[in-house]
Amino acid sequence: MTRFRPVLLGAAGLAGLLLVIELAPRTGLVDERFLPPASRILAALAREAGSPAFWAALGDTLVAWALGLAVAAGAGVLAGLVIGSVPALRALTASTVEFLRPIPSVALIPLAVLLYGTGLGSTLMLVCYAAFWQVLVQVLYGVADVDPVAFETARSFRFSPWARVRYVLWPTALPYVFTGVRLAASVALVLAITAELVIGSPGLGKEIAVAQASEAVPAMYALIVVTGLLGVVINVAARFSERRFLAWHQSVRGEI
Amino acid sequence: MRRFLAGMTAMVLAGSLAACGSSDDASGTDGVDAVKVGVIPIIDVAPIYLGQKQGFFKSRNIELTLESGQGGAAIVPGVVSGQFQFGFSNLTSLMIAQTKNVPIKAVAAGVASTGQDGADFGGVVVKADSPIKTAADLAGKKISVNTLKNIGDTVVRESVRKKGGDPKDIAFVEMPFPNMPAALAEGQIDAAWVVEPQLSTIKAAGGRVVASTFVDAAPNLTVAAYFASTKLVQEDADLVKRFTEAINESLTYADAHPDEVREVLGSYTKIDEKLRASLILPKWPVEINEASVQKLAELGNTDGIFTGSPDLAELLP
Amino acid sequence: MSFMRKIGYAVGLPLILFGLWFVLSSGSESFYAPPLGTILTAFGDTWTWPAIRADVLPSLLRLAAGYLLAAVVGVTLGVAIGLDRRLRATVEPVLEFFRAVPPPVLVPVIMLFAGIGDAMKVIVIVFGCVWPILLNTVEGVRAVDSVQLETARAYGVTGPARITRVILPSASPQIAAGLRQALSIAIILMVISEMFAASNGLGFTIVQFQRSFAIPEMWSGIILLGLLGFGLSLLFRLAERRALRWYEGLRAAQRTR
Repeated sequence: MTRFRPVLLGAAGLAGLLLVIELAPRTGLVDERFLPPASRILAALAREAGSPAFWAALGDTLVAWALGLAVAAGAGVLAGLVIGSVPALRALTASTVEFLRPIPSVALIPLAVLLYGTGLGSTLMLVCYAAFWQVLVQVLYGVADVDPVAFETARSFRFSPWARVRYVLWPTALPYVFTGVRLAASVALVLAITAELVIGSPGLGKEIAVAQASEAVPAMYALIVVTGLLGVVINVAARFSERRFLAWHQSVRGEI
Repeated sequence: MRRFLAGMTAMVLAGSLAACGSSDDASGTDGVDAVKVGVIPIIDVAPIYLGQKQGFFKSRNIELTLESGQGGAAIVPGVVSGQFQFGFSNLTSLMIAQTKNVPIKAVAAGVASTGQDGADFGGVVVKADSPIKTAADLAGKKISVNTLKNIGDTVVRESVRKKGGDPKDIAFVEMPFPNMPAALAEGQIDAAWVVEPQLSTIKAAGGRVVASTFVDAAPNLTVAAYFASTKLVQEDADLVKRFTEAINESLTYADAHPDEVREVLGSYTKIDEKLRASLILPKWPVEINEASVQKLAELGNTDGIFTGSPDLAELLP
Repeated sequence: MSFMRKIGYAVGLPLILFGLWFVLSSGSESFYAPPLGTILTAFGDTWTWPAIRADVLPSLLRLAAGYLLAAVVGVTLGVAIGLDRRLRATVEPVLEFFRAVPPPVLVPVIMLFAGIGDAMKVIVIVFGCVWPILLNTVEGVRAVDSVQLETARAYGVTGPARITRVILPSASPQIAAGLRQALSIAIILMVISEMFAASNGLGFTIVQFQRSFAIPEMWSGIILLGLLGFGLSLLFRLAERRALRWYEGLRAAQRTR
């Protein structure tokens, strides 16, 4: 496969989606007042792109996303490695993790507002909360996947605990960490926008809510498209870095 | 408890959030008060945006920041915890909060009904070809409201009662206002209780208003109010007084300058120009119509929305 | 590890945390953070059997329907996409696009097609929780050992047998990871879906409590949600252990070797 084929195929996939959204309202499959054709959505997108408020909102969302993800990934990897490599700690925290994890971030909104108002802080709190578990669980799986033989070998060669983590644990867990961070990256984006939408803190989510409340349907879809595109960009970036750092791993090796 | 929860959260997030976002408010050195107001970005709060633009707050040494929240679920906790000094909410919500001993107090009028049947900013609408002709026909139908057990369903029930219908079997469905035009058009609901701008959208698509619910509930009903925490009211009466004065000036100005209201709407909503021109604007009197609030409280009692009776003397300024 | 010891590990930390919460909150004056004692009283008063049947059961049924549907869709699509490089390249941006769109903003669109009944809520759940299953299945299938695949091919294992005998078992630990993540997302989506056009359900009830300022009741609902998630995760772990016995066995064998 040449280098550009996947890009072309991906573009074809997106074009197909656009075509469906263009045709569904035009053929009367759905009412175009509620789902306008793609061309009108794109026109609204162009209009949005011309307003500084849009770029400010995009910036707010990206800041909340990046900060939240960084905090969650750092905390998740650290906690995952520590908890995962000490069996007693793992057993002790398992039930608590399972208890806290499914508490929906939306249920934490009153708490977030109490602590941080409707500013960036409350969005961050929800983003961190949701993204943290994604990373943690993957890291725990990754640590559990460490080849016991390799670990024992390292131990018998009297690797220091740090070296064991660095040369045995970390390489095995790394693909899981990447999967976790990639999952967390999109969960963080979804949560950033959801929080803005529900709480009303500044960002794309709030713009969507305002567009919705203002009966500006094409603008609303245009903003939704932006969130989707953001997701695509984030995933491409994650894939790219994964390919760079994990070139030796089976799941990536098959690609080359 | 709060500190514990904060601590727990901080622990979960590895302590990294503690530094973010906490707002330090209160007065600056030059006697100017920084005030944050939690508002819902809808038509009802146009006066405060207009007042900010006109300098009604600045002239009273108030540095106003408007923070948008989506509904009372986000605004009331913010006011109680002091993240916002003031907030905007409908009166039924405020009364529900009051019966639950939430420490808040209304400080100024927010928005009121136009008092004109068929030409109010909110009401029950049906599709053009609906068999529902009057409010009495709404009995036993499926009607959407934005929030269950709140102002929407009480006033709808009252409209039905007034026209001689039985509101007992109405099936209320909760959905956000923006989703209602589609749900109505697709026949997922029989009628929708909406406010502007969805009201205009539905009317433009041929929908009919079958009940002006706020008008039916009470003459010149005060629908919403600005409120503060009782703590602020006790501790900084001067600030509250200046805020109330500034709001009142804003309300009066907005009522007298509808064109400027329509214009300012363009600054914080995305309502397009055509729709803005066709909106029915509410009234913005400075007085909270106590008789109408009393009526709203009675309706809430009748429909079992409150767990106790709201104490209006406590709640209203 | 003995049974008692296991129990001790499971309840130890939660007990300590709850104890701390109880002690620290006992004098709380804060409206939004009432003492745990008050919350527990509210818990007993609120979640009686009729309330559970009226609100928790419908939620659970929708959750189960949505989750199972997402599992079937996710694994099927995941295997197909994982096996075909070209298909993966074509659909990946589209899938990523939809994954990044927050479910709450898609609800109105889903409502256009699925109405406002239970079907809409189930679809919202599927839409949110299919992604980790799909993504993990794709990863799992991609990571199937090439030696194993070649060996299977050499032995003439092809067609459906290749998928059920070689690919799925080999990818199953990763699929399990995806299913487990999807479970908690499904619970979150269950709550979100009940914020629209619902008239019953656990999420609906919690939101109602929050709006009507019934704060102890709201906290009791959040605790119930946590308990529910914990219970479901326990069930999941049991199922996972049964299904992946060979994998655990393999690991254990490697450990003792």
